[in-house]
Amino acid sequence: MSSNPHRILLIAKRDYLATIRTKAFIIGLMVAPLLFGGGFLGIALMQSKPDIKERRIVIIDGAGEVAAAVIQAAQERNAKELFDKTSHRQVQPRYVFETLPPAADPQVQRLALSERVRRQQLFAFVEIGPAALQAAPHAANDKDSTPGPVSTYSNEGGFDEAGRWLSGSIDDGIRRVRLAQLGVDPSRLSDALAGVKIDRFGLVSRDPKTGEIHEASKKNDVAEFAVPFGIMLLLGMIVMIGSSPMLSAVTEDKAQRLVEMLLGMATPFELMMGKVLGALGTSLTSSSFYIIGGTLALEGMGLAGVVPFRVFPWFYAYLIADVIFLCSFAAALGAGCGSPQDAQQLAILLLAPVMIPYFLITFVMQQPNGAISTALSLFPPFTPMLMVLRQAMPGGGVPAWQPWVGLLGVLAFTLVMVVAAARIFRVAILVQGKTPKMGELVRWAVRG
Amino acid sequence: MDAVRISNVTKAFGAVTAVDGLSLIVPEGSVYGFIGPNGSGKTTTMRMISSIFYPDSGEVRVFGQQMLGARSELIGYLPEERGLYRKMAVQPLLEFYGELRSGRKVTAEVVNWIEKLDLAKWASQKVQTLSKGMSQKVQFIAAVVPAPKLLILDEPFSGLDPVSADTLQSAILDLRRGGVTVILSTHDMQVAENMCDRICMIFRGKKVLDGTLESIQDQYGNDTIRVAAEGGARFLDGLPDVERVRDLGQVQELRMARGCDPQQVLRALVDRTRVTSFSIMKPSLHDIFVRIAGPEAGEAQIVQ
Repeated sequence: MSSNPHRILLIAKRDYLATIRTKAFIIGLMVAPLLFGGGFLGIALMQSKPDIKERRIVIIDGAGEVAAAVIQAAQERNAKELFDKTSHRQVQPRYVFETLPPAADPQVQRLALSERVRRQQLFAFVEIGPAALQAAPHAANDKDSTPGPVSTYSNEGGFDEAGRWLSGSIDDGIRRVRLAQLGVDPSRLSDALAGVKIDRFGLVSRDPKTGEIHEASKKNDVAEFAVPFGIMLLLGMIVMIGSSPMLSAVTEDKAQRLVEMLLGMATPFELMMGKVLGALGTSLTSSSFYIIGGTLALEGMGLAGVVPFRVFPWFYAYLIADVIFLCSFAAALGAGCGSPQDAQQLAILLLAPVMIPYFLITFVMQQPNGAISTALSLFPPFTPMLMVLRQAMPGGGVPAWQPWVGLLGVLAFTLVMVVAAARIFRVAILVQGKTPKMGELVRWAVRG
Repeated sequence: MDAVRISNVTKAFGAVTAVDGLSLIVPEGSVYGFIGPNGSGKTTTMRMISSIFYPDSGEVRVFGQQMLGARSELIGYLPEERGLYRKMAVQPLLEFYGELRSGRKVTAEVVNWIEKLDLAKWASQKVQTLSKGMSQKVQFIAAVVPAPKLLILDEPFSGLDPVSADTLQSAILDLRRGGVTVILSTHDMQVAENMCDRICMIFRGKKVLDGTLESIQDQYGNDTIRVAAEGGARFLDGLPDVERVRDLGQVQELRMARGCDPQQVLRALVDRTRVTSFSIMKPSLHDIFVRIAGPEAGEAQIVQ
């Protein structure tokens, strides 16, 4: 049976115009970046109003000479970080210390101090054992609950930023004592322990035409993390916005008996492909809006250099394949659903190819060219999201063949999905009053 | 040429056989009516003619061609359910449907039909604002724009008021006069009797009647008496050689036993009450339908 491209395009045009003319689409287009931007604004606002309440910490110094050094290190750090250098506003809490000698029964002492922490009289307490100054570090074992040479006790949960700050100060104090014991002049300790500024660069390259050597460009946190993350986030967002409504739209058309009227004029394949292309048009409109808007915004912030223009053709190739694949899948599932409630339950299946790569972001960004990252990004349902993430990382070093192989895999997978979806759609779309079982959907997909 | 030729077609959905070995011919330029109880296979047959369903076995030819799933602008199809985009305005919707079927702009034809069916003032209104009757008219226009050679109408008069039904009926007959072949299904036996050149009854997926109204009635002979008598139906119980009495209110229909003499029935009736009207006639389509598909019916005879 042949298909009529004119009919497919006509259905696509109707669906596209019906979508983009709705207030929901226009408002959504504007609101999505505001929501994302609002999130970042919220974080910035929270950072501008940090918790600066004084924090009292008790140090039980079993080593005898460490507490003073820790307090000195903490106070120096406090003095450096307490105020913002430009606004002179306090941006960190002030840490105040008191020292206690070890009691005869450490457990009773720990319980008493724990009660003070619970009553919020203390922020935390630190127990420094005699072994803290020994050169050989205590073997770390997270499962061992026996206190090591240095232990901190607090009631803080989550990421415990204060705990990390305190650990740094304790480390610093203990190093000072050790260095003093080794004969280093105490007045030079701060200089000796001062950190070194490390500049990170990409690779030096040679121009293949002129032979000129190009200097490596300095790595930039925005380019390193925010841009690849943003591009992947955008791809996932556009794909979801484009494909999710398909499931309920097909189910509603079926429930409202629109489908039978349309099937008198167009074949099931023409109807499905028209709807898929309509959704693709919507996705391309949204993505272009965001990409042009994002690029202009970065240019306005003087960050145009971080925009990876070389990735955009791949972004669109993956976007087109992913939307066609997911929309076909959604159309088949929607055709099989007996009611919009059934469709809601199946929505999770559609989200999986987008959501699973989101969970893998950290892993892939840490090892973009590792064997597992490479394998995951060549698995067709995940390729669009993960390959574009790897490609968008500056100097990501993705071998040139991988995006092409990934794209071929995605296109082949999409083709198979469209054929299977069309077979399911043709049979299921006029089935009323019952929801086909998974076995039936598979049988229709295979045999038609 | 036959407009439609169906040869030994069977269509099953899982364990249910919707159409079972059906064969029929729809002559070109005729109005062909499908009757039968709900779930008998009428809609499935019409969907197979429209290529929406494919037969499991057998063959469907439209104007000599096997459709094999292709869509043709020669066929207009009006499904029983209202299938309109509720948020689209009437005229753009009809232009969309017309272009979808024909592949060309059909604005002039749409405007012509909108005026013909008295929908001009609703042309720019959204479908969701229309009454059921107006929606049915819109859907009818979608089926007839641009001019089809074969028009398939599934329950076209269902739920319509008499005025709207008359409007559609005359539009259908106009099309027939213009050479369009019309296949329609209906539960209204009066419509089938008045409009259809040929009538086909499908029962449990099989054809049980096929022919002109006259030829179908001839199969049953003059076995029906229509009578009007003082006291109505209460004087008709237990009349000799009368198998069934159908009370229509002002008149009653009596079905006689085979070989019975109507004069004997008249004599028995006159003995009981004053008879004001007595006519011997062929059974109505309604009566034939009930004889085949009613609760008292035995196994229907299959017509080949």
